[in-house]
Amino acid sequence: MGDAVIEPKKGLGSERRGLRVAEVIRAGESFDAEVHAELADEPEILRADTFSLWYGESRALYDISMKLPRGKVTALIGPSGCGKSTLLRSVNRMNDLVDGVRVDGEIRLEGESIYDPRVDVIELRKRLGMVFQKPNPFPMSIFENVVYPLRIDGERRKGVLAQACERALRQAALWDEVKDRLKQSALGLSGGQQQRLCIARAIVADPEVLLLDEPCSALDPVATMRIEELISEIAERYTVLIVTHNMQQAARVSNFTAFMYLGRLVEYGPSEAIFSRPILPETEQYVTGRFG
Amino acid sequence: MSTTSPNPDRHQRRTPISAHGEPAMWVTAGALILCLALILGLAIVIVWRGGSTFLVRPVHEVTLADGTVFLGSPFESEAVPGEDGQTRRRYRVGNRDLGQDSYRWVRSDEIASIATPSDGVMVERREWGVFFGRIQRVYLIREQEYEPGAGGPADGERVNTDFGPATVRVIQESETEDGDRRVLAHLVLADDAPEARGIFGHVHDTVLDRRASIESLNRHRVPLLQERLSRLEWKRRGIERRTGASRREVMPVWTWGLTALATIATGLGAARLSRMVPRGSRKYGLRVLSMAAAILCAMGVLGVVTEHPWSDDSIPVERASELIADIDADRARLSEELGRVLEEINARRERLDRVRVVIVEPTGGRFSPLSVSEPGEPMAVADVVRVVAANDLGLAGKLRVYLARWWEFLSDRPRANGAEGGVFPVIVGTVTLTLLLTVAVVPLGVISALYLREYARQGIVTSLIRIAINNLAGVPSIVYGMFGLGFFCYGLGGWVDSGPANAAPRGFWWGLVGLTGVIVLGGVISVMFAARRPGRPATAVNRFAGALAWVMWLSAAGLAVYLVSSTPYFDGWFTEKLPERPTFGGRGILWASLTLALLTLPVVIVATEEAISAVPNSIREGSIASGASRWQTIRRVVLPGALPGIMTGAILAMARGAGEVAPLMLVGAVNFTQSSPVSAEAPFLHGDRTFMHLGFHIYNLGFQSPDSQATEPLVWTTTLLLVAIVVALNLAAVMIRAKLRGKHGAAI
Repeated sequence: MGDAVIEPKKGLGSERRGLRVAEVIRAGESFDAEVHAELADEPEILRADTFSLWYGESRALYDISMKLPRGKVTALIGPSGCGKSTLLRSVNRMNDLVDGVRVDGEIRLEGESIYDPRVDVIELRKRLGMVFQKPNPFPMSIFENVVYPLRIDGERRKGVLAQACERALRQAALWDEVKDRLKQSALGLSGGQQQRLCIARAIVADPEVLLLDEPCSALDPVATMRIEELISEIAERYTVLIVTHNMQQAARVSNFTAFMYLGRLVEYGPSEAIFSRPILPETEQYVTGRFG
Repeated sequence: MSTTSPNPDRHQRRTPISAHGEPAMWVTAGALILCLALILGLAIVIVWRGGSTFLVRPVHEVTLADGTVFLGSPFESEAVPGEDGQTRRRYRVGNRDLGQDSYRWVRSDEIASIATPSDGVMVERREWGVFFGRIQRVYLIREQEYEPGAGGPADGERVNTDFGPATVRVIQESETEDGDRRVLAHLVLADDAPEARGIFGHVHDTVLDRRASIESLNRHRVPLLQERLSRLEWKRRGIERRTGASRREVMPVWTWGLTALATIATGLGAARLSRMVPRGSRKYGLRVLSMAAAILCAMGVLGVVTEHPWSDDSIPVERASELIADIDADRARLSEELGRVLEEINARRERLDRVRVVIVEPTGGRFSPLSVSEPGEPMAVADVVRVVAANDLGLAGKLRVYLARWWEFLSDRPRANGAEGGVFPVIVGTVTLTLLLTVAVVPLGVISALYLREYARQGIVTSLIRIAINNLAGVPSIVYGMFGLGFFCYGLGGWVDSGPANAAPRGFWWGLVGLTGVIVLGGVISVMFAARRPGRPATAVNRFAGALAWVMWLSAAGLAVYLVSSTPYFDGWFTEKLPERPTFGGRGILWASLTLALLTLPVVIVATEEAISAVPNSIREGSIASGASRWQTIRRVVLPGALPGIMTGAILAMARGAGEVAPLMLVGAVNFTQSSPVSAEAPFLHGDRTFMHLGFHIYNLGFQSPDSQATEPLVWTTTLLLVAIVVALNLAAVMIRAKLRGKHGAAI
């Protein structure tokens, strides 16, 4: 979006520009993200309009404007501290828990602003599942962990809970491993299993959007692979927004990729375009590991 | 070498002395060992001395060089200070009612010979401690009148008694006014030492059974009747107070009926209005209105209920005299029954007291007397608790006596100011107190800590509060005792007994109720303005409204306390018993446990705070992100995770509370009381009663007993018991904690 002129691509490196955008950003000047034309056709579920965020005096996000395509996996990439996680946590208002946070602009879920005072933040969070960087199972049984979002909603019927638990665990590809020990503590699971448990917990209440905050960064390669497979599977049912440091992962699991730098959205487009023929040289250098 | 080194000075440096070897390790380890030795020493001393009190010691018959002979049990011996090679030994000699000390020191050069006679016994008595001697004779006293010519007992005749065959020995014979023969005779069951001991055992068993049934009558039936009688008396006083003059006015139906209708209408309106305001709505006007209606409705309910203008509480004079006549009839009946019971108890006691035993000392022929005032009469068998023929017992027998004494100690009530008998009611008092204090302190402390750690914004105020709480833990406990006496016993207790001392005038009181309602509404409005817009930092208005809300809530709470404490509509639940018998307006176990709860509050708060902050934040975030509210997160995730730590706090509080003595002396512990804080009569737990406490009992035995020498072993045993109870409480809590940990996983 924006009025940046999108020039037809002529192949990587054929017309290499200098890292002009990075300089503009470092200088703090205003800048419009390069958004690929393919995104214009996608139906949106969530969009940010010139969304900015401050932690006290320091600004973490600068006028982010982007839309999240419905039913697709979108990856947020960028160097550490570029505001990927902040953006993700702004979507379900987890930043409310931090003192001194100020926002400007809007984020809209299905067209409704989520920062409107009329919005019940608890209801909002129920529409958005979230998985964190470190697996954070609760100190209770596997079963109780999975059905936690239903329990706090007041669901008490055993049959409903058991059904939901099985469905979520199957979707999270964990059912076969834990079906015989649902009553045991979740803390006895391995790291990868715990993370899949957290995914099951995040999807048990059928959220509209699934927010994944570097879900594999604390896991070993095998567990990472399983989670990636899982994300591809559940992407059929949910809209997924995933923050990752791992380029290969972003390329493998996502349909769209947004590259962020120093709190700004830099380039946003279909993943294969971002990873094979990005518009901006900064993006190209970042995804090939030469920048950032 | 040094030419290649980047730092040429490097090899000239000296290793400092502190880096040689590890002297610090030895010092620290030594300190630890010293600590362990002290703790272990404490445990060993208490267990050894406390456990040896009930050991069965042999009975020595010591003949001194000057020819006197005494019986006694040997205790420790030691070198006589200042004399080489000379030792002395401490003997327990008892027989205090014959003018002896409980213990005497005997120098080894005074002793001519020591024997261990098999018939030498130590007799534990109900009064005056133990008696060393030999059982000489067991007999019954019988005094009867016979008509002339009807015969009657003759000297040397064999007769049968309840206890077996006996030989008649006529002591005194006289003639009554109407010519009958009155004979005072002893029916001698046994008359020489070896046989007497066997027969005594049999007689003693029977007598103890009978005595137990008399005592149970005396201990249960009599207090019950007395309690009923005094209840009738209080009921009567209550009726007299309410006779004739009314303190309330009966209002016409339409006045209070209209008020009630208006109250119901505002209540319905409040409910309707609040339904019109969805969550998170900004329809502040409606919210304020619904809140105002709710407050108005609450005030209406308060007014209608407190005034209850549809009736007055006076009793018409005729009705009162009827009631009082009923009560008087009941009282007469009960008094008669009480008199009959007491008479029966006396008669049965007298009969039992006629069974006598002669236990003599080895020299002088002195025997254990019935009482100090009747030194010429041998003692009653019923006053013997136990006869220990230590020299005649094998190991199994000694063990049996040892265990029997422990059982008596644990299950019986104290006699002779605690110097004899058991400590069962003392244990009951201690355990009840500890449980009550735990029940009071844990919820309060946990809830406070939750606010402090989970809800409150961490800043200078919370830091100040934390410092204050930590300092509270260091306040001397007697200060809490004084506070408890002043606030709980006299203040709160007095209010419960007789209502507010200075009740506010009604108009003024209702004015204050209205003011409180307005302030609450102001608080509600302030809270609305204190909420910041999502994604925006707090504005000046938000902050001001937040501060204002605090002020309003605090003043509303203060006003509420004042309103309750000065209400003109309450004049006590126990006014009838005043002034001679305050119920809650004095010392009692409820106030004692609340005082201790206050004392242990800092322990619980600090432990809970630590446990809560040990719950990882990622778990909280996971719960919030799942759509849980703050409270749901606390309730379902934080509290279960922090439970083991909270239990630790509760354990520490219990241990601290159970061992505390000083404040209890002020707020409820007593030397001795017949009544127990828990009983089978409603309401089962009697918060108004005084109680006995092991710690205070130790103090009493050690310092308040007339014969502290004799009670010293019991002091040790009671100490051992107190330590054991505290350890048992701790162990139970540790086990519960371990179980909880197992249930919720080992992460926290």
